[in-house]
Amino acid sequence: MNVSLNWLASYIDLEGLGTQEMADMLTFAGIEVEGIQERGVKTDLVVVAQVMEKTPVEGSDHLNVCMVDAGEGSLRQIVCGAQNYKVGDKVPCALPGAVLPGGWEIKDGKLRGVESRGMLCSASELGLPDKEHGLWILPADYVIGTPVRQFVGTDTIFELEITPNRPDLLSHWGMARELAGITGRKLKADPASAAMGAVETKPAGDVITLSAPDICPLYTATRISGVKIGPSPEWLADRLVAIGLRPINNVVDITNYCLFELGHPLHAFDAAKLTGGLNIRRAAEGEQFESLMGDTYTLKSDDVVISDASGSALALGGVMGGLNSGVTEQTTDIVLESAWFARSNIRFTSRRLGLGSDSSYRFERGTSPWNVLRAAARATELILECAGGTAEPVLVGGQAPCLVPEENAPNATVVEQGSDAKIYYALDQVQLDWKELDVMTDGSIPHTEATTILKNLGLKNIDGRGTWDCPPWRLDLKRSCDLLEEIVRVYGIDNIPATNTAIYVEESANDRASDYRMALSRKLAGAGFWEAQTFKLIAAESIDPTIASVENALPIKPLMDGDIIRVSLPISEDHSTLRPSLAPGLISVAARNINQGLEVLRFFECGRVFRNTGGGKGKDIETEVLGIFMAGKVGPASWADTKPAGAGFEHIRAVLDILVPKATITLIPAKQARENAAVGADIQINNQACGYFARLSLAKCRALGLPMESYYAELDLRKLQQVATAPYKATDLPQFPGSSRDASLDVPAATRHADIMKAVEAAKQKLLVSTGLKDVFCDPTGEKLAADRKAMTYTFLYRDAKKTLTAAEVDAAHKCVLDTLAAKVKGLSFR
Amino acid sequence: MKDQIASVQAAALDRIAGITDMRGLEDARVGILGKKGTLTQVQQGMRNVPKEDKPAVGAMLNEARAIITAALDDRKAALQAELDAAAVAGVDFTMPGATLPAGGLHPISIVRDEAVRVLRRMGFTLADGPDIEDEWHCFDALNTPDDHPARNEKDTFYFDSGKLLRTQTSTVQARVMEKQAPPVRIICPGSAFRRDAIDATHLSAFNQIEGLYVDKNVSVGDLKGTLEYFLKALFGSETAVRFRPHFFPFTEPSFEIDVLLQAAGQAPRWIEIAGCGMVNPAVFENIDKATGKTQYSGCTGFAFGIGLERLAMIRWGIRDIRLLIENDVRFLAQFQ
Repeated sequence: MNVSLNWLASYIDLEGLGTQEMADMLTFAGIEVEGIQERGVKTDLVVVAQVMEKTPVEGSDHLNVCMVDAGEGSLRQIVCGAQNYKVGDKVPCALPGAVLPGGWEIKDGKLRGVESRGMLCSASELGLPDKEHGLWILPADYVIGTPVRQFVGTDTIFELEITPNRPDLLSHWGMARELAGITGRKLKADPASAAMGAVETKPAGDVITLSAPDICPLYTATRISGVKIGPSPEWLADRLVAIGLRPINNVVDITNYCLFELGHPLHAFDAAKLTGGLNIRRAAEGEQFESLMGDTYTLKSDDVVISDASGSALALGGVMGGLNSGVTEQTTDIVLESAWFARSNIRFTSRRLGLGSDSSYRFERGTSPWNVLRAAARATELILECAGGTAEPVLVGGQAPCLVPEENAPNATVVEQGSDAKIYYALDQVQLDWKELDVMTDGSIPHTEATTILKNLGLKNIDGRGTWDCPPWRLDLKRSCDLLEEIVRVYGIDNIPATNTAIYVEESANDRASDYRMALSRKLAGAGFWEAQTFKLIAAESIDPTIASVENALPIKPLMDGDIIRVSLPISEDHSTLRPSLAPGLISVAARNINQGLEVLRFFECGRVFRNTGGGKGKDIETEVLGIFMAGKVGPASWADTKPAGAGFEHIRAVLDILVPKATITLIPAKQARENAAVGADIQINNQACGYFARLSLAKCRALGLPMESYYAELDLRKLQQVATAPYKATDLPQFPGSSRDASLDVPAATRHADIMKAVEAAKQKLLVSTGLKDVFCDPTGEKLAADRKAMTYTFLYRDAKKTLTAAEVDAAHKCVLDTLAAKVKGLSFR
Repeated sequence: MKDQIASVQAAALDRIAGITDMRGLEDARVGILGKKGTLTQVQQGMRNVPKEDKPAVGAMLNEARAIITAALDDRKAALQAELDAAAVAGVDFTMPGATLPAGGLHPISIVRDEAVRVLRRMGFTLADGPDIEDEWHCFDALNTPDDHPARNEKDTFYFDSGKLLRTQTSTVQARVMEKQAPPVRIICPGSAFRRDAIDATHLSAFNQIEGLYVDKNVSVGDLKGTLEYFLKALFGSETAVRFRPHFFPFTEPSFEIDVLLQAAGQAPRWIEIAGCGMVNPAVFENIDKATGKTQYSGCTGFAFGIGLERLAMIRWGIRDIRLLIENDVRFLAQFQ
């Protein structure tokens, strides 16, 4: 909300309060200052000048060279680009040395090579609202050479962000009241008090029918006859312009003015356009409403409309007037609405229709029923003053919501408004417990000081103990903690000493999980992997490889439709679905980096993946996983290694091995390869399923622009942690040397390493402590080895814990292993 | 015999002096001292030496072997020294290194870990909660009114099931308190989601770290002391910290916290960094009502939330938040 300091100063004495001081004061009262605009000219170097000559600048289609008389005895040459002036006009002229709003200093200079000694100004260049497009044409009777400062006022506009709990601050009077409360400065007269002193009210009878009392329980209408619609007086128009509003006509301007003065929205109908009494009712489902802006809206039954005997909707209650019921130049009689609407309905209507106004903004945050009659009386007073006419008593329909005395608040203090038809407003009563204040502030705020703070804010202590009446404008004060907040806020947290309290705590499972995740991440970073953090919301499918999409999830089992969790109303298809795997994100990261020419593509991510267990009807499962993606070269090329090898299966396998060095990792090939994954496998750690592995299909790689093998592994972080952090003991180093033997096996090409290892195990040779694959040799040409065969060389290490083995003992053990191999592995021979 | 020994010794020493490499040295050792070496051959003449001369000739032979061996060893040491000197003589220390595959942590991980480490040092333990939440934990328990703007399909991601993606990590406050009796002293880093279009300053999924301390007699002073310590640990002990009153439904009083930061060539500016406040008693009442216990009545506490993307952006002067989700290695490499 924009607040004009000039306007504010008519309600509270701001003498001696600097702009920055005031900004700080507001900030520490919880009102965010989003901007400060200084309006008007403060320098004497902007003067009234008359344009004496005007000739086009050669080679320019819009610049003119002007000779102007600024009252200096000689003419001044200034180049000007505006088009709206003529020779003889008087305009503001900024002389060299003048500093304009925004800190812009005017200097002698040249434009298109033509000397220019100053600047002719528009209103906006002087920090004033623009009244015309181009130079500000001044009245002809202004004296040449006079500083413009003498004709225009200055003002400071604060752009304030009011938190949703403080709708009482959404007006100048409300802001003045708050400043008085927090500074102790004196408030001037309440702008509504004179009008309220004279207000007459009458029961509305059947003129007002409240058909939706849950949404609109209180509605007043004031008929003013014989008004003369015309422009607003200058003081009123200036105030509206200052806060960014456009003056329309005196009656409409006054309803707007009262909204920004007292904070309560009003609406004026043209009485001639109403038929019979007013009916405030819920809209019919599908009812059409045409707003005063000319747009048509389809309504629902939670919307409230003001209709008349004709039944048509004249206004969308609390939000906006209708097209054909408003005040025009021809209007002579008006009906002024001041009412109270339930905030949730107005919010619902405004948001659903995307239709907001200064009125709906206030109603949806909450307005005080106490302000209904005040605004009606104040606006009527101003209309009579500015537009003439005679006012009838205010017709009151209904009663302030939930506030009829006795029934709802037996002990409440009741404020009574009006004459014949009374509006009762019961004040909220709050019990303040001083002990709570002492606990909250460690006893640092004296109770006398706290009492003063509450009193300054308009609260009244009614029993000399802890019972406080809250002022009618403060809708947010309901409980003890609300008062504590006020005391702390105004006293200032700066004045409350900081303390440090700590307790001893047990380490939680989450602490250990976080430690493991960081250790794992650092290990992978050290192994040459970049940690990525990709978006949890991904696309269902996309042809752009840099957009993560579910189709790249590379699962071992097919993902069913219901497994995937999709938000109801995504912002875009690219971010519509919760990721079922980290693969799509990491693939998109690889695709993005390939586009930047990166050749080593090694990424990992730790994070949650999401699945539904029961085809959309079961539980939503969130699992913390580790995803590892690897493609491209094993390392960057350099002079020392000009052609690094491409990453292969063995490299991703090596990474898996360093994750859990003490465990056995097994890949169990998937029965059926999935789309996008040429090869897929379940990953088992110590024979427990722990994740999956995939090599991307070459078709997918080509689609990614990735002409190399690409691997992905995803592991359950909790299971990984369980294995990796299992307790263990150190073992003694062997005391006797071992002895190794190599064997080169000539086997059919289809023989797997696992087949060999199984046979070695079957030998049950106790002296054998390790078996290592040393070399694999194939020869597709068939020259050195038949093309359908391969040679696998293994090293076998033998050792006895208790003695040094003799050569004969080692040979015997080795022979046992080789014999078993020969017997168990089909088609094996030794080379 | 003595002459023979003397001449073999002289020839051997000449040969050794002329050796230029290790191979020549080894050849000389074999050629002189080996089985068929010149000295060994002379030695074989011992059997023909008269008995009475044997001690003297023997001594001479031994002396010759010792002298030659010493000469060989000296020569070897000299050659080795030459080789060692040559090995470092030509090294160009200005050459670039071979390149290892580089890797590193994501900046969000770095700031999260740093914040977590400071807070754990202060006696907070990590807690956790799901990203897919229900309205109770996300809104009702946290005193968010039914008609609050956040409870809307336009601001919050809902699912057809009625569940939603949590809009703040504060959900974990409710998750922890319904399971655990006071005192509670927890933090929770995690994702939060809001239906914001992605631009230079907004992401629809982002990271926060939430903190909660509940016990008997927790005060505003504790909130202030804790957060001042935390922020000074993150931004430097000289950092000025200020608390501005604000509004959040689940705390009262509520504050936003600014830190005074200075960018290069600019005047210091207050930058909003976190939100905090004293837990609203309504939250405790909601928890007790849901659990059917009264363990939180009479407790006080404070809670705070801090955006990790914002923390990273302020810390490293990152201008566009989208850089944090693009994972371009040219960006990631700057944080190592």
